[in-house]
Amino acid sequence: MAEFIWDPIVATAAILLSSLIAYGLLCMGRKIVKPRLTPEKAKTYTCGEELKPEEMHADSEQFFSPIRRVLRPFYRYIQTAHTGVLSTYLLWVVVGFIIILVIILLTVR
Amino acid sequence: MIPHAPILVIVLPLFGAFFTPVVGILARRYNLKNAVEIFAIAVMIAVFVMVASMAPTVWGGQFITYQLGGWSPPWGINLAVDGLAIQMALMIAGLSTLVIIYSAAYMKRDSGLSYFYALVLLVIAGMMGTVLTGDIFNFYVFLEIMSVGSYALVAFRRNSESIEAGLKYLFIGSLGTSLILLSIAMLYGIVGSLNIADLGAKLTLYGGAVPTGLVVSLALFVTGVMIKVAMVPFHVWLADAFTAAPTAISALLAGPAAVVGIYWVARLPYLPFGMPVGIILVSLGLLSMIIGVLMALTQRDFKRMLAYHVISQKGYMVLGIGLGTFGATLGAQGGLFHLLNHSTYKSMLFMCAGAVLFRTGSQKFDELGGLGKKMPITALTFLIGALAISGIPPLNGFASKYTIYLAGMQAGQPLITAIAVLVSALTFASFFKAFSSVFLGQEHERFKEIREVPKSMLFPMLAMAVLCIIIGLLPALGFNVAGPAQAAAENSAGYISHVIGGI
Repeated sequence: MAEFIWDPIVATAAILLSSLIAYGLLCMGRKIVKPRLTPEKAKTYTCGEELKPEEMHADSEQFFSPIRRVLRPFYRYIQTAHTGVLSTYLLWVVVGFIIILVIILLTVR
Repeated sequence: MIPHAPILVIVLPLFGAFFTPVVGILARRYNLKNAVEIFAIAVMIAVFVMVASMAPTVWGGQFITYQLGGWSPPWGINLAVDGLAIQMALMIAGLSTLVIIYSAAYMKRDSGLSYFYALVLLVIAGMMGTVLTGDIFNFYVFLEIMSVGSYALVAFRRNSESIEAGLKYLFIGSLGTSLILLSIAMLYGIVGSLNIADLGAKLTLYGGAVPTGLVVSLALFVTGVMIKVAMVPFHVWLADAFTAAPTAISALLAGPAAVVGIYWVARLPYLPFGMPVGIILVSLGLLSMIIGVLMALTQRDFKRMLAYHVISQKGYMVLGIGLGTFGATLGAQGGLFHLLNHSTYKSMLFMCAGAVLFRTGSQKFDELGGLGKKMPITALTFLIGALAISGIPPLNGFASKYTIYLAGMQAGQPLITAIAVLVSALTFASFFKAFSSVFLGQEHERFKEIREVPKSMLFPMLAMAVLCIIIGLLPALGFNVAGPAQAAAENSAGYISHVIGGI
């Protein structure tokens, strides 16, 4: 049945062809506008200070800060609920068991 | 089929585990290099060959039952190998062999390696027994063997972080196995049997009038299994354990060990209870997919991020199996196919994280960067794994996720399909961050001398990457394994008649 829904060979050929076209466009663009890089241009400055490569790293926790802002309630309550305290986690298991028991009782009866 | 293969695939790693410390002593006495590693790999290759010898028989439509001591079920203990069990056994044997090959170089800097391999073989024996046994009490015993070995392996390095993670895993995992034991005790008290097929046959006699004790027993069993599968809200042991364990063990727990929990999730709606649990599976699956991926998005630690993705991806499998109980024929097939794919690329992704840790000594995103040029093969395999887990065509993750999306539509729940697609997009975002933080960017001064990891570590990573591509291009290969597995899981009457000769 899967063969009728999805033909991976055709899709792969299409993906490779599109990638090739995209690469061709990129090469053409580079021919038209030639970059003139000088060593000074390649350096990164912040407030007049030159940065080392390891300092030019996006903060991994803030990498998707817009998503964090949109889903603020989740990160405020669910993420902070992962306290690492074992007794809290055991309580989650007990609460989860009670919910499962109630659902099964309601479904079976 | 090799004679006695069903029992040998359990006994070989079990006895191999107890014999490994002896090999270690002999290796030290006679100065034999890599003797323990070679012994463990040889045991696993033998196990894989024996499991593979059973596969054509099972896929040919036969059901293998092996009676221990010649006692026929339900009185004696039996092993039952159907389409579902053979998929799980093949995955456990194949992936564990690759993990042990990886460990040979990765664990070189550690001491006590004979105990390490003894524990790994013990865990593998437990996994094999769990999926092959036809006796529910034996299932508990093998689950404990697997679990106790896993707790010890998580705490193997004996630093504060790993001991804390090991203890957390021990407490929560033991609670899970205790709930399963309590469930089995109640089941035995009510029905009077421990044979899975016999239980299934006797429980169908209750019809609609199910005793409350059985409902409690089922709830206990479901909770215990969900702790092992790490579904939200029972997932809390996983992130710490996978982060603190040696990375080879994280790969073992993320790949082969994931099989055990999902095997029982696939059995649950049909045997031995045969009661409706679909709504629980769908709810927990959805919850785990969403919470897992959102937690993964903000992680600073490479392995911790991968650990949260394990929860999210297992959510897909549980969701697929749950949808199967609502008439979506593609549901269970998609879930089991996703298990096959996920175990492959998740083990590989953990191996890539291990390779980075092995060379740089760090698994923090903010301390890494620019490693793509220094470790090109690791970067390439990670990229393949990242694209596969994100469900990007034409890799294997897409084929199984697409089947689950279709199952959502089949069940008349387009919202579920929409959520599954959105979670895939967030998974891609998360792996984009990981790839960018670790492999892209300018080369760090302190990584000037870094080079690619040894070939024995690259081999399993490359083998898994090739599998991701091949199964992606030829998804029929995966469906040919997951299809019989789904049919076997749903055919409880067939299981019962093969084991005890009919209801």
